[in-house]
Amino acid sequence: MTLLYLLILTPLVAGLLSLLPRTAFVVGAVACSALLVEFVSGLIVSAEVVRNGSVAAGMLFALDPLGAVVALIVVTLGLGATLYSVGYLRAEVAKEIIGFRRVRQYYTLLHLFLLAMLVAIASTSPILMWIAIEATTLSTALLISFYNKPSSMEAAWKYLILNSVGLLLGFFGTLLFLYPAIHGNPQGLVTWGDVLSRAPALDPVVAKVAFVFVLTGYGTKVGFVPMHTWLPDAHSKAPAPISSLLSGVLLNVAFLAVLRFKAVADVALGPAFSKELLVFFGILSIVIAAFIIFSQGNYKTLLAYHSIEHMGIIALGFGFGGIAAFAGLLHMIYHSLAKSALFLASGNILLKYSSTKIHNIQGMLKTLPLTSALFIIGFLVMAGVPPSGIFITEFLILSKGISINPWVAGAALFSFVLVFAGIIKHVVPMILGDAQGLPRQGEASAWTTVPIVVLTGLLVIAGFFIPGWLQALLHASTARY
Amino acid sequence: MSAYLTSPLPFVLASLLFVSIALLHLTKKNAIAVWLYVVQASAIALLLLLASVHGATVVLVLTLAATVLVKLFIAPAFFFRLIRRHQLRFSASTYLNTPVALFAIAAIVVLTRAIVPNVNVALTPLGHNLLTTSASSIFVSLFLLVNRKGALSQMLGVLSLENSIVAFALFAGLEQGVALQLGILFILVIWITIATVFASMIYRHFGTLDVTEMQTLTA
Repeated sequence: MTLLYLLILTPLVAGLLSLLPRTAFVVGAVACSALLVEFVSGLIVSAEVVRNGSVAAGMLFALDPLGAVVALIVVTLGLGATLYSVGYLRAEVAKEIIGFRRVRQYYTLLHLFLLAMLVAIASTSPILMWIAIEATTLSTALLISFYNKPSSMEAAWKYLILNSVGLLLGFFGTLLFLYPAIHGNPQGLVTWGDVLSRAPALDPVVAKVAFVFVLTGYGTKVGFVPMHTWLPDAHSKAPAPISSLLSGVLLNVAFLAVLRFKAVADVALGPAFSKELLVFFGILSIVIAAFIIFSQGNYKTLLAYHSIEHMGIIALGFGFGGIAAFAGLLHMIYHSLAKSALFLASGNILLKYSSTKIHNIQGMLKTLPLTSALFIIGFLVMAGVPPSGIFITEFLILSKGISINPWVAGAALFSFVLVFAGIIKHVVPMILGDAQGLPRQGEASAWTTVPIVVLTGLLVIAGFFIPGWLQALLHASTARY
Repeated sequence: MSAYLTSPLPFVLASLLFVSIALLHLTKKNAIAVWLYVVQASAIALLLLLASVHGATVVLVLTLAATVLVKLFIAPAFFFRLIRRHQLRFSASTYLNTPVALFAIAAIVVLTRAIVPNVNVALTPLGHNLLTTSASSIFVSLFLLVNRKGALSQMLGVLSLENSIVAFALFAGLEQGVALQLGILFILVIWITIATVFASMIYRHFGTLDVTEMQTLTA
């Protein structure tokens, strides 16, 4: 119980402490120490969840198996992004792109962002979860506009407005779901347990309308098509470590909210309604993103659209249910590791070439050999090339899908092929290409390479070996789906 | 269902909310748009006051006080300061002209009255007119976000949407829920602050709050 409080309160304390130091070294040290504490406490709390089924801390916070999986993703990728940030920001300060004041703002907002995500995952109340997810919008809007350029301001404004509207619609759906629980317990804070226990009393029409609003609202945050228009701009304009967290972590937290309400809707309506909607949004996201990926000209935007495609795959998995839901959750882990590593690698590319345009990047194998190797591995995994873990999860999802809806499974398979072709089209010229006029060879520092190596290593290992405790956690998380 | 909802006053306030949101589509001056928001906020504050009179709790009274302070004083002050500082007398235009916008609003109301009653009956059998009116306000607020081009108008659209949802929740008898009140307090304080700061930064970068002038993104 104490460790769950430690997990949640550490980013709050770190955020406050980040306002005090006068040197970038100290503020970076505070950040790295805090993330180490969060990582270790996240591991221990997850082990506790595996042993006891759940962990509670007071009346406001509790972690179930599904929450533990997402929390592990947050702390693992958070640690990687924070370690990377030390070297990345140091390089940007050296290039005089930003000053110390901006560095301090960055770390403060980063801690608030992580705090908001952990509160969203661990809160026992749907409304506290909504408030925490809204808080992620507000903290990350400031991070997206970090460089204070017109394009980043525009991306941040679009992000703020679209996500605020989406979350208000999600709030409306939440209130409809809470209706029977609030009328049974008007004074106290309604918990997920209250909502689930009173779900059979929810009128079917109200439940359907509520789930549609929740899926549309939180689905905006997940980046489902057609609510996705903010995502490519926001993820491409933010600093690389923040992009890695936006794509690799925040989308999962929003999807967790959808899954929690799916459980309630399934009790009130049966599983068919929510599954059909998830399949619809999933396949739409996969197909649209696949076509756009093929014609992209910016590598960070390419990665962002890739995230839309993969969240669609995860939604498809939970829409098909059964083994596909298990595969969907495993896919979430693989996507998070790979996308985070790829965005951090994109940060190295930006530092070296000072451009995000694909046609300006050539000969990476000579200028950034280690980053190039990791970039290739990450993209091959993301493209679902066997024997990667993503190949296995996509195979499981499609094989379940063929028996339920062969047309949807076929459209998804076509989209995967299109994405693979798009990746080859864009990435190969970046890695190879003309050697003339290349920037100076060499990586920026160990801070900007070791985190990517570790994340890629975890990704490759996890494709072949999943520890027993993680398997138990995944099974417990997806049992009801 | 709360007893005060059977009196005529809540329906008057719901109608006032709807009309002020509809008029936001038509006004050409930013100052009038902000005053229309003040009218909406007053309607919500009066609804919360009615709810407090019929069943006061500490949190509900705090919510009422925060609503009055933030929506009636602080938020309008932020917006008027933005208008004065950047001399934004006239708001950005709309994508649809006035007759078409009015037709669209009418269509939204008709559709809402056709679809929403099934939900209303399930929630509060006696208050379906109130719920239908506030549901119409929700959809007209969404249309406002789509129809108007100014960043200030978009902010007012988000806040109008929030007012409409609060009204719906109050009419559905959720005013006693701590859930609703916490949600209201949070979004009021934090969102308005950050959105206003962003609007100022946008004006500094683009020289306008017309969002169609923001064309730096190519994704």
